[in-house]
Amino acid sequence: MNTSLIALVVALPLLAAFLLPLVPSVLRRLVGPLALLAVAALGMVLWQASLSEPLVLTLGGFRPPLGIVFYVDGVAALFVLTVALVTLLLWPWGGDASENLDRKQSLTLVLAAACTGLAVSGDLFNVYVFYELAAVASYGLAAGSRTAAAQVATFRYVILGSLGSLLALIGITLIYFRTGTLNLAHLADLAPQTLHDPLGLAAFFLILLGLGVKAELFLVNTWAPEVYATAEARVSALLAGLVSKLALLVVVRLLVLVFPLPEAREALLLLGMLGMISGEFAAYRARDIKRMLAWSSIGQLGAAFIAFSIPGPLGLAAGLAIALHHLLVKPALFLLAERWGGGLARLAGAARRSPLGAALFVLFALSLIGVPPLPGFWAKYLLLSGLAAQPDNLYLLAGLVVLVTTVVEAVYLFRVIGVMYGREGATPANEQLDNTQPASALAGSGVFAALLLAAALAAPLLAAPLGRMATQMSDGAAYVARVLPSTATLSGAAQ
Amino acid sequence: MSEFALLTLLIGALGLIALGIGGLVLSRNLFRIVLALSLAEAGANLLLVLVGFRRDAVAPIIESGQALTAIMVDPIPQAMVLTAIVIGVGVQALALSLAIRAYAAYGTLDMSVMRRRMEADIDAAAGAQPATSLHAPAGGRPLPPISAPRLAHDKGAQA
Repeated sequence: MNTSLIALVVALPLLAAFLLPLVPSVLRRLVGPLALLAVAALGMVLWQASLSEPLVLTLGGFRPPLGIVFYVDGVAALFVLTVALVTLLLWPWGGDASENLDRKQSLTLVLAAACTGLAVSGDLFNVYVFYELAAVASYGLAAGSRTAAAQVATFRYVILGSLGSLLALIGITLIYFRTGTLNLAHLADLAPQTLHDPLGLAAFFLILLGLGVKAELFLVNTWAPEVYATAEARVSALLAGLVSKLALLVVVRLLVLVFPLPEAREALLLLGMLGMISGEFAAYRARDIKRMLAWSSIGQLGAAFIAFSIPGPLGLAAGLAIALHHLLVKPALFLLAERWGGGLARLAGAARRSPLGAALFVLFALSLIGVPPLPGFWAKYLLLSGLAAQPDNLYLLAGLVVLVTTVVEAVYLFRVIGVMYGREGATPANEQLDNTQPASALAGSGVFAALLLAAALAAPLLAAPLGRMATQMSDGAAYVARVLPSTATLSGAAQ
Repeated sequence: MSEFALLTLLIGALGLIALGIGGLVLSRNLFRIVLALSLAEAGANLLLVLVGFRRDAVAPIIESGQALTAIMVDPIPQAMVLTAIVIGVGVQALALSLAIRAYAAYGTLDMSVMRRRMEADIDAAAGAQPATSLHAPAGGRPLPPISAPRLAHDKGAQA
C-alpha cells in the first residue's frame, strides 16, 4: 500500500480542527466525526498491513536519520484505530452554545491528532512536539467546565505538565548531546556505545518523569484526582483513557529500543508498584465516585508500568492487554459517573432509578477487578504469569502487590455496588436526585460494554494478534533495519 | 568563545533550571510560580543552545555563492529551541489567564489557600464530607485535643 497515507492520520484531524470554524454552520458538526471516521478507516487498513510487516514513511523525501520518520507497526496502528474510535465515542455532540461547542470540538480534534502523532512518531523531537500539543489541548479541555474549582485544578495541571515537558526536554537535550541524533532507530543503533552509562540513564529517568505526568506515574500524578473531579466526564475519560496510554507507549518505545537496561526496568517496576499501592488505597479512601475512579486509574496505570517492566514480548503483551482493557473500561465508567457525580451517600438507591446504568457499572467493575470470563481477568492473568516467570525477587514482590491491590479494588468497587443496590440510606432527598444518565452517556458506555463483551467472547482469537504485536514491538533490531536499511555504514561513520 | 565563558554559560543554564524548579516547589504565589516556570524554561533553552555550540563556528546560514567549507554551529538544537520558546510562551500565557480567572473566583493568589477552597468546592459539589478536618474527624472518632491558637489559625486561613 501507499505509505504516504500514514501522514493523513495526523494531518486529517489537525486540518479538521483548524478548518472547523470556517465551515458553513450547516456542515460544521459533521467535520470532526468525518475526519475521525476517516482516521479510523485508515487505522484499520494500516493495522491489517502492518501486522505482517511494519510500514515506514520518510517525510519530504529526506532520508533518516536526518529526515523525519513515521513508523507504523501493529501496536502503533492499533492505537491510531483506538484513538479515532474512542474520540468518536466521547465526541462533544451538543448541549452547549455554538461558539463553545466549536472550541471544544476543535480542541478534541487537536488532542486526537497529537495522540496519533505520538503513536507513529519515529523521532524524539516530534514526540516532544506532539506531547506538548496533547498537553495544551488537554489544558483547554480541562478548563472547559468553567467552574472556579476547575480553573484552579487546571492551573495546577498546567504547572505540573509544563514541569514535565521541561524535564523531558532536558532529557532529550542530554541524549542529543551524547549522540547527535534524535531518530529513534539511529539512537537504538548508537545506544550501546554512547547511552548505556549514568548520563544516558539520567536522560531516560528525566524523560520517564516528564512523560509520566500524562501517564499518571507515581510522584507526578497529583493533578489527576483534582482535574478528573472538576472537568467534564467526557474530558476525564479522554485524559484517563487515551492520553495516558499514548504517553505510556512512548516510554515503552524508548525502553525497548534505546534503554533495554535492567536499571531502567527496575525504575519502571518500582514506580509502577508505588503507583499501584498509592492509587488503589487512595481510591479505597475516596468518598466520591469521580475521585475514586481517578485514583483507581492511577492504580491501573501502575499495573501497566509493572507489566511493561517485564523483559521480552511476554511483558509487552501483558502491558498492552492491561492498557487496552483500561482504555475500554475507564472512559465508560467516567461517562456513567457523570450524573451520579457525587458522594457515595448520594448513590443510595441509584440502581432503582437508573437500572441500565447500574448494570453497566457492575459489568465494568467486575472486569476491572478481573472476574474470569471478562477481559480484565486475561489482562491480570498475563501480568501475573509474566511476573511469576521472572527469577528476580522484586518481580515476585510486584506480583504480591498486584494481588493485594486487587483485593482492595474489589472492596471499594463492591462497596459502591452495595450502596447502589442496597435499601439503606435511600432517603427522600435522594429520591429527588436525577440519577438517570443522559442517553448519549448510556449509548457511549453501551458501545464500550459491547466491545468489552466481544473481547471476552473472542479472547482466544485475540491472543494471536496480541502476541504478534508484542513480538514485533520487542524486536529493536528489526526496527533499526526497517528505518535505516544501511545501518552498518551509519554506525561505522559514527565511530 | 573561551573555555571559561562556555563553562560560565553551562553553570548559568543549570543554575537557572535549579532556581526555577526550586521556585516551582517552594513558592505559593501563583504569579511567582509562573515566573519560576519561565526561569526554568530559559535555563533548559540555554542548555539546548549550548549543546549545539562548536568552537570558531559561524551561524548555520548558507548565503548564495558561499563555499560550504566553514564550520557551522549545529542548527538542529536552534530549531528545537525556537519550538520550545514558542510553546513555552503559549503555555505561560494560558497559565496566567487561568490564574486571573482563579483570582477572580477566590480572591487570593496563595496556592495553598486556593487549593483548600478548591477541595472544599469539590466536596460540596459531590455532597461528600471533607477528607480530614479538625472539626469532624473521619469515621466519627472523637476530636483530638487541639490547642486554641492552631484552631484560630485554621479558621483565619479559611476566612
